[in-house]
Amino acid sequence: MTELLHVNGLSVRFSGLTALDDVSFTLQEGAVRAVIGPNGAGKSTLFNAISGYVTPTSGTVHLKGQELTKLTPHEIAEQGVRRTFQNGGLFPELTVLENVLTGLHAQIEGSFLDILLGRSKALKSEAENIHRARELLKLMSMDHMADTRAGDLSGGQQRIVEIVRTVASDPPVLLLDEPAVGLSPVARAQMMEIIHRLAGEKGVGILLIEHAVELVMAAADRILVMAAGARIAEGTPEEIREDRAVLEAYLGHS
Amino acid sequence: MSTTMPTSRQRRLRTWAFWAVPVLLLLTPLATNAYTQFIINGMLISILVTLGFTLVIGNLGQLAFANTAFFGIGAYASAILSAKLGLPWIMTIPLAGALGALGGFLASSAALRGIRSYYLAIITLAFGELMRWAYLHTKPLTGGTDGLPLPRETMFGISLSDDTLKFYIFLAVTVVLVKATLNLLRSRFGRAVMAVRENEVATASLAIPTARVILTTFIWSGFVVGCAGALFARHVGHVFPESFGMLHLIASFAMVLVGGLGSVLGAVLGAVVLTALPEYLRAFPGMEELFFGLIVAAVLVAMPLGLASLLRRLSPIFVERYYREES
Amino acid sequence: MLMQLTLGGFAQGAIYALIALSLTVVYRSTTVVNFGHGDFVMAGAFLSYVLVVLAGIAFLPAAVLAMLAMFVLGVFFSKGLIRPIRGGPHIGLALMCISAGYILRGIARMVWGREVLPMPPVFDIEPIFIGNLVITGDAVFIIGTVFVLLVVFFGLLGLTDLGKMVQAVYQSPRGARLIGLNVERFNDFSWGVGAALGALGGILVAPISLLHPDLGASFLIKGFAAMTLGGFGSLGGAVLGGILLGLAEQYAGAYLDSALIEITAYVVIVLVLFIRPHGLFGRKAVVKV
Repeated sequence: MTELLHVNGLSVRFSGLTALDDVSFTLQEGAVRAVIGPNGAGKSTLFNAISGYVTPTSGTVHLKGQELTKLTPHEIAEQGVRRTFQNGGLFPELTVLENVLTGLHAQIEGSFLDILLGRSKALKSEAENIHRARELLKLMSMDHMADTRAGDLSGGQQRIVEIVRTVASDPPVLLLDEPAVGLSPVARAQMMEIIHRLAGEKGVGILLIEHAVELVMAAADRILVMAAGARIAEGTPEEIREDRAVLEAYLGHS
Repeated sequence: MSTTMPTSRQRRLRTWAFWAVPVLLLLTPLATNAYTQFIINGMLISILVTLGFTLVIGNLGQLAFANTAFFGIGAYASAILSAKLGLPWIMTIPLAGALGALGGFLASSAALRGIRSYYLAIITLAFGELMRWAYLHTKPLTGGTDGLPLPRETMFGISLSDDTLKFYIFLAVTVVLVKATLNLLRSRFGRAVMAVRENEVATASLAIPTARVILTTFIWSGFVVGCAGALFARHVGHVFPESFGMLHLIASFAMVLVGGLGSVLGAVLGAVVLTALPEYLRAFPGMEELFFGLIVAAVLVAMPLGLASLLRRLSPIFVERYYREES
Repeated sequence: MLMQLTLGGFAQGAIYALIALSLTVVYRSTTVVNFGHGDFVMAGAFLSYVLVVLAGIAFLPAAVLAMLAMFVLGVFFSKGLIRPIRGGPHIGLALMCISAGYILRGIARMVWGREVLPMPPVFDIEPIFIGNLVITGDAVFIIGTVFVLLVVFFGLLGLTDLGKMVQAVYQSPRGARLIGLNVERFNDFSWGVGAALGALGGILVAPISLLHPDLGASFLIKGFAAMTLGGFGSLGGAVLGGILLGLAEQYAGAYLDSALIEITAYVVIVLVLFIRPHGLFGRKAVVKV
């Protein structure tokens, strides 16, 4: 298995406060790694630092050996590390199809001038990608919703469309920020199925923040436990279940 | 709850209608008198002004009030280039557009420095007023309060003061710019513009360079409105600083809003409806302001999505989308 | 010379301070920036003109009446036109304010047309001479009124229970709702206070300037410049920003070029937003992305 993401000694400090403290790990192709920890443990800061929304104070992030640390969010996304958002990142006024198409932005060819003048090169690529977006929606049985305003979807459907949009460009690495929060048990099961399929069939390396313990235990190969910005444990779900430090972090704080 | 989308037959009909309307309009000079022709010419200019404005405040969702500044820059650029440098007026149109685009670039540089929302509104308002101050205080170039007349000129042996000739030129420019803007909106670019409005953070996570999208939208808006300024200079034949003040801004606002924020169809409808009416009010002082004020307030409360939304309810043929399946 | 300019700057600045303060009062409680505020100022000036010149009422009671009328207008504007679109996008609210301003301006122009109305001098006090310095009655009156008003305003805000409650609402509207304050009514009240204070600005400039329906436009920009300079949303900053702007205009006009008086405010807005967006006293501007 090839190594995709290599996070080395990543730290983030905001005016004296350490939000992320020397975190290192790697993510392999087709692996699902969960990040868990109590609120304020630094999970979201870790995601933001990897995806470029927060500049790390020190440490590095590499994707297949290429450094991402200094890049902007859209450059990191273009390199192939894509993420979802905890509060939902869909564009409510756009339709489902248009939302998925925004995920294919960098895949659609044609310069500004090609688009402006309606040159066939741009139109052809646009048509191809619309076809691709429709296929992707069909895979998730969402094709009948293509023309629905994203804001009119149910919570579960929104999560699924957001994932379709995020993986539309076939990124090697996917960061999922609490994909199951607020979902019904049925929708959770579906989400798990999607995660398995992405990792198992497409070989996507997935980093997952999640509070739903059963989902984490079932979906993840390895779990990274954080508290107060630092890593306190790391291992397989079975190892984590037995780990004293983890129990203390959770029970001690809640 | 799925929106009914136009069928492929309706889409073909729409494409056909898009070209049929201007072709039919070619015949209007046969049926109008000089005054009506003058008003129709004004409508074409308003369409472009409204289109440029709605792109920024409707599609991109930025509270930028620099539209009137772009318009003034375009008009003065055209007047100065023809009157002082002797350029044929027709050549000044793209140049006025380019200078309008430069204005757009300046306005976007504020937005890109994180000056947003009310701050952006205030700084762009100041930009517009600074430009007006500049027209007043650079008398050798702009004529100051006396304004700047455009020189007499002929094209194809016809005087450019002829409203029919102007109409054909204005129509051609308007059709080209509306079509180009539609091309932009119904593409990855148009979707990116909307995405920035809806959620800028999430937009960047999709490998969309948000800063460039904002910059480009402002520049294109400035270009369209700058070209409209050049048309306006020839339309009235004499540019004055007062034409580019707050009344023009509120009128453009009303057009954007009455038609429907962020809608190309709405820009056209709003411009057409609101260019004709106030002409008759001009004789009564204060009525113009009162009229625009009341209309905007009424639309905001009663019909926030504008006339375009009424048409959409009538037939899916009017549904505007940000992709283009047919190639 | 310098002293004379400083005095003039203070008198002008006091007006700007008042306008910026009234904008801030509305902004702090409702988060709406009143883009039609200049016309509220104009309406105040015209109302006082009507009452003094046409109805023959003495200036002071006329001023109070005009402020009361504008308070009521502000409350009705909030109830009738702002409430229905509250929660909508900023653009809608900004537009609503602009259109309200235009309605006022349209009415003023319908009544007075293109005429420019001179208001009779109110305080025909002999100017006081101190060396080369000429202190006019108007300057004393303006600075004095604004000073008293500011003392009362900040006194009420800082020392009374009502004022403390108002500050609590400024801190957290949600918290205010939790303790049972009727936020909607409070917002209406703030619009009333903002309109009345803005109108007072107009009433104070009326005797020293010519009245015309477009009078408000420049005051709006000056108010914004003062707010921006002092720090958007800061009450004290609005006042200081106003005074500083008044002084800057006078100095720039005298020492650089008189044409600069008109654009000092614009230049201030552009420079402050680019260099120090949170102004001199404001908290750092947070951009919602």
